[in-house]
Amino acid sequence: MVQNTVQVNTVKEKLVRDDHGPQRRGLDATDLARVAVFAALVAALGLPGSFSVFGGVPITAQTFGVMLAGAILGPRLGALSMVALLALTAAGLPLLAGGRGGISVFVGPSAGYLIGWIAGAFVIGLIVHSSARKPAAWRTALAMLVGGVLVIYAFGIPVQSVVTRLSLAQTAMASLVFIPGDLVKAVLATLTVSTLLRAYPRAFRRTWRSSERQEVDAPTPPAG
Amino acid sequence: MVTLYRPGDGPWHRLRPGRKTALLLLLVLGICLLPATWWAAGVMAGVCLACYAIPGAGMRELGRQLVATRWMVGVTLIGQLIFLGPESAAANTTRVAVACALAALLALTTPATELLETFERAMGPLTWLRLDPRRVALTLALTLSTLPVLANLARDVREAQRARGGGRSLRHFAMPFLVMALKHADELGDALTARGVR
Repeated sequence: MVQNTVQVNTVKEKLVRDDHGPQRRGLDATDLARVAVFAALVAALGLPGSFSVFGGVPITAQTFGVMLAGAILGPRLGALSMVALLALTAAGLPLLAGGRGGISVFVGPSAGYLIGWIAGAFVIGLIVHSSARKPAAWRTALAMLVGGVLVIYAFGIPVQSVVTRLSLAQTAMASLVFIPGDLVKAVLATLTVSTLLRAYPRAFRRTWRSSERQEVDAPTPPAG
Repeated sequence: MVTLYRPGDGPWHRLRPGRKTALLLLLVLGICLLPATWWAAGVMAGVCLACYAIPGAGMRELGRQLVATRWMVGVTLIGQLIFLGPESAAANTTRVAVACALAALLALTTPATELLETFERAMGPLTWLRLDPRRVALTLALTLSTLPVLANLARDVREAQRARGGGRSLRHFAMPFLVMALKHADELGDALTARGVR
């Protein structure tokens, strides 16, 4: 029954958004709005009033937002929304967790992690939307681990090592502290994306090839 | 939206944004090239104090900057003390703190709008990337105007959570917040399209 609803939704999507295939190049107004909203969303997740997961461990939720941006907007728009957020941050707006901002965050030890957000969102989008089918939970989970954890650390650790002049291995060991929190966020992001795929598929603004009913894939007559 | 800018009319405030950015980045680069010794740490601290001593910045601002970066500095210091000696730890931690404090002068003494304009001009040579500066500016402005909207949405969702006796779980916060944010994005997109943005 649930499967059916999804099917209907996908068909509807196809009818309504016929001109918005994945192959379109330029950005339209809705793309710009979505980029802006996700940049603002990551900033909003850094506002005071932090979250706790699994009873008590406080975390900053901003990387969670990065993961969602990549998965929902796709590689290009996801990365763009991170660029927009970081550009505003560099201009002196206190948009990062704890009210940090200004170019000082780009000369500090965590600069690499911020640049990693751009690459991370891009990689997550690539993996989540790597096939024409609706992203499966395992693919989303893989994307979160690779893009949301590995890629961000791959940018963050070398920069931190240069800035603080600790060796790479020592920096990596020191940042192990943050891995559990990031794994929790990856799990939450996977769950959220899976729920969103069922509850609000138009969030993704794209059409998927159906696995069982091939006729969905056939060209549909214009909607109106 | 409260920015980091503190109004004033000292030399830092009068310096043009482009030059100020270049000057501060050069200073930070210079600081980063100093070796990890006691005297270098002294030089860094001296440069930082001198820069903040110029009227318009002030020692109170420096104090606030240091308080704001205390976690980062603390984590750096502990890591350094474990792996390196006290001399390197002191110098490296001073470098990190001073670099951040110096760079913070830019945001402290330049309004965000002026900085954004400077960025926009600096992006000029990037037109070969097929970037349209006007659309970039529009996206940044949209982000700024969306921030208070989302902050309100986030507060509403949290209050609803609390009213139902829920805790501060991110899991139960995420879905309603996301759907509301995405709906806002769609409405915003439609409004832009209706006003001729394509």
